[in-house]
Amino acid sequence: MRVFKRLSGEKKPVQSAKTIKIALLSSFTITGIKEVLGVKCFGSGLTPEFYEAPYGQFAQDVLNREGPLYQFNADLTILFVDTMDLLGEDFFFPYRLSDDVRKKVADEKCKEVSGWVKMLIERVAGKVLLHNFKVPHYSPLGILENKQEFGFFEMVKRINNGLADKFKNNSKVFIFDYDGFCSKHGKSRIMDNKMYYLGDFKLRFDLIPALCEEYMAYIKPLTLLTKKCLVLDLDNTLWGGVVGEDGLEGLKLGPTPEGRPFLEFQKCILNLFDRGVILAINSSNNPEDVDKVFREHPNMVLNKEHFTAIEVNWNDKISNMRSIAGKINIGLDALVFLDDLRSNREMVRSALPEVLVPELPEDPAEYAVALIEVNDFNTLQLTDEDKNRNRLYALDRQRREHRENITDITEYLKDLKIVVTIAKADSMTIPRISQLTQKTNQFNMTTRRYLEEDIRRFTSGTRFYVFSVKVEDRFGDNGIAGTVIVETVGVRWRIDTFLLSCRVIGRKIEEAVLSFVIEEAGRRGIRFIDGEFISTPKNAPAKDFYKRSGFTFKAQKEQKEIWEFDVSQINKKPNFIEVVWKG
Amino acid sequence: MERLKTILSKVLGIDKNSISDATSPDNVENWDSFNGLILVSELESTFKVKFTMEEVSSARCVKDIKGYLRKHGVALEGE
Repeated sequence: MRVFKRLSGEKKPVQSAKTIKIALLSSFTITGIKEVLGVKCFGSGLTPEFYEAPYGQFAQDVLNREGPLYQFNADLTILFVDTMDLLGEDFFFPYRLSDDVRKKVADEKCKEVSGWVKMLIERVAGKVLLHNFKVPHYSPLGILENKQEFGFFEMVKRINNGLADKFKNNSKVFIFDYDGFCSKHGKSRIMDNKMYYLGDFKLRFDLIPALCEEYMAYIKPLTLLTKKCLVLDLDNTLWGGVVGEDGLEGLKLGPTPEGRPFLEFQKCILNLFDRGVILAINSSNNPEDVDKVFREHPNMVLNKEHFTAIEVNWNDKISNMRSIAGKINIGLDALVFLDDLRSNREMVRSALPEVLVPELPEDPAEYAVALIEVNDFNTLQLTDEDKNRNRLYALDRQRREHRENITDITEYLKDLKIVVTIAKADSMTIPRISQLTQKTNQFNMTTRRYLEEDIRRFTSGTRFYVFSVKVEDRFGDNGIAGTVIVETVGVRWRIDTFLLSCRVIGRKIEEAVLSFVIEEAGRRGIRFIDGEFISTPKNAPAKDFYKRSGFTFKAQKEQKEIWEFDVSQINKKPNFIEVVWKG
Repeated sequence: MERLKTILSKVLGIDKNSISDATSPDNVENWDSFNGLILVSELESTFKVKFTMEEVSSARCVKDIKGYLRKHGVALEGE
């Protein structure tokens, strides 16, 4: 399959610890997809494992409860059925059916497909990616197609709409808009007819890499490879020209042929911001020149408040990247860097390989499209916190500036007027709690990753308690920024999970939350608390937390440290944080 | 001929020097029906030609491939 490595345009595979199990179910020959997708996974640092349904047997696989598909138990199951295979003879002779029967057939087919999906999600723990159906570009009725009461094209569209409706609110099922994919690449050239007749290939070979790239947009967030922050250069990236040389008036940015590409590029960036992507600037410039553009240029779409970290100086771009990651409190592997200069891109790429540095085309006219093609910012769910995250980060910048005015840290914290609201997990907060367990690396005592289903299971019994931790201060509401999961074992509580988002650490909130847990344990007649700590390369901030909080070291079981607290002991808590319990 | 040999060796994973007119699915292990179609696709894109289905199904060995390429106006250098 060497030829596919070239086709997929990826670098040499690197072995990695992260793995993903992918099942491919299709109604026709899809040889090649597994190979190209495998190379793309390796390119993103993933080791994939595949299951491919035998030719023509995907439906048997789905139905066979004891079969190999379910033994494989994929993280992602891709179901790719072609319109022709779904409709059979009705695809060729849709108008031998009456309008009513056509409608009925569409509904039956929709039911059949959603039936397969339902069976899949009942029996596999992972997600399902369902292709919708290509709406044909040819009608047996020619130009009269859209004069029908309920036409052939409408029939396929009805199936697609039906499936979209059915799974809109299902967090395990994603619909891949294959019809949109076909339009994007041209419906008339989706198939190589000869290959179709010779080998039942319904997708031409040279489109396989593009399809696999679309799959990667789902695979990356599924394996938590999502990027969080877009770092931008300024001159010839956010605007045309060099502000230090061309001056404010000389910049290309606005409703002119040369200015519009930059204007629309900024609009694309603003869309990412609205979706929760953090923005930062890494630019070699005089800060006064840049401030002037932000303040006075009439066509700037982005303003200073959109950026969480701004590094405009004459330092090298590499130290600036490090400093940006530090200020936002995220890893370098969460950054994407866009710069028009190849030399800068190469420099950052080689010094900081964790940072994703996409190629920016020579021609600014191609900038917006290049950014749209970056599929690394996708998340599988958009919580309210995501949508507000940027407001929160912008507030955080104000907080930092505020801190620079106050020198004493306790004074600063007091002045923040922090309110921590703790509540039992409910259907509203479970998605966010699961997301926190998936994404929090630093202040995370055990780094146990839980799906929504897991959290729901914890909350349904009486053995576990799941608490959400909401944090507010004078600058605004941080939303749910932490969670604690405890298990009752006789007169003991075992703290299974204790974590806080990096956004709120360093404010003694963890101490307030732990002291609440201790009080709550006392109220429920619990005598001892066992705190667990599992060390990871990233959770240094959480180390010694139990020790600092008066717990005694009890045991070490492989990677796990167990720290014990006698509930009758004195329970210290920071007096400047107000804790509200919504039990 | 050089370009043809390069494609054959790349797609089928065989040594360029081992390729002759008689090279065929019978004596190359990797030359299964799928790799055969990949070969067709690679030849078409490299030489900017389009084979008919009949040609694809009737080609039995490298000699046949050369014949069809010539028929489509491809000059095979260095023969």
